[in-house]
Amino acid sequence: MNELDYLRQMRSLNRPVVPHRDLWAGIEARLDEAPSAATVRRHRARPWLMAAAIAGVAVLGGGIGLHLVSPTGNDGLAATGQAWKPSDPRLSGAAVELDAARMELTQAMQDSPDSAALQRLLLRTERQRDRLRNLEKQAG
Amino acid sequence: MNALCLAATSFMQPELPAASSDDEIVRAAIGGDRKAFEALYRRHSDRVYGAVLRLAAFDHARAEDLTQEAFIRAWQKLEGFRFESAFGTWVYRLAVNVALMSIRARNADPVSIVDDEHLPDITDADNPVRAFERDELEKAIAGLPPRARAVLVLHDVEGWKHEEIATELSMAVGSSKAQLHRARGLLRRALGDKP
Repeated sequence: MNELDYLRQMRSLNRPVVPHRDLWAGIEARLDEAPSAATVRRHRARPWLMAAAIAGVAVLGGGIGLHLVSPTGNDGLAATGQAWKPSDPRLSGAAVELDAARMELTQAMQDSPDSAALQRLLLRTERQRDRLRNLEKQAG
Repeated sequence: MNALCLAATSFMQPELPAASSDDEIVRAAIGGDRKAFEALYRRHSDRVYGAVLRLAAFDHARAEDLTQEAFIRAWQKLEGFRFESAFGTWVYRLAVNVALMSIRARNADPVSIVDDEHLPDITDADNPVRAFERDELEKAIAGLPPRARAVLVLHDVEGWKHEEIATELSMAVGSSKAQLHRARGLLRRALGDKP
């Protein structure tokens, strides 16, 4: 028997084999324990949602506080994305939260650059930051 | 009998159009659709099971465990599937990897760490003595040491290149070649020693 015959015989073993029993039931049972890609994706997005929510609440609280103290006019100042630290201690906490949220969202977008949800959250965080800066300006 | 089998098989098929391409079904499965994933399992399990069975020394119980593990991992890693290859190829490679990891984890092959120069001296190793029946061949392959069997199955049965085997088994290409030489020799000896 030459090598060609040998290889032919070996390759004849390369065939699909039907399992003796249906394995799907066992797989399906374990899928409950094994999160799917979609579930993992949802869970991964949760910390960023949480960060954005915290930042939103902080901005709202700071904004209301400023309005109560200094209800002045609106000059519509456009904010930039640069590092910024409000002098008012009531706003500085919100600013820190917003900066942290922005940083985390930016990092998350490096992993999932096409995520529309992350893009929306980042945009919303930027807007909240702008509003906060406007409020600070209004307060003088 | 055949009609009965066909009826049973079609009963088990998930409710997806038969003509759906793998890519469409994979996209649905990535979205979390279990029926879609079951359809993928039904399409590809036989090929996966066959490969895993050969690597698991034709041990059906172990091959069943490994096949289930492979499909569970496929479910978890599905998001990483980039549609650059066929899903069947992707899940086959993943399953082979699971089987090889099992071999490595068991570390049941004391000869696998033997240096190439200490391999048994086998002459005419690439020329097995006679034609043999498939069952006989499978039994002889099952009797090989795990690592040697893995190299032999991947190269001679599955048609992999030494470079691919070396990568999957974390060994040098030369070691893969030496293991194949050794496995063929052991196989020849096992088949030749039969009365």
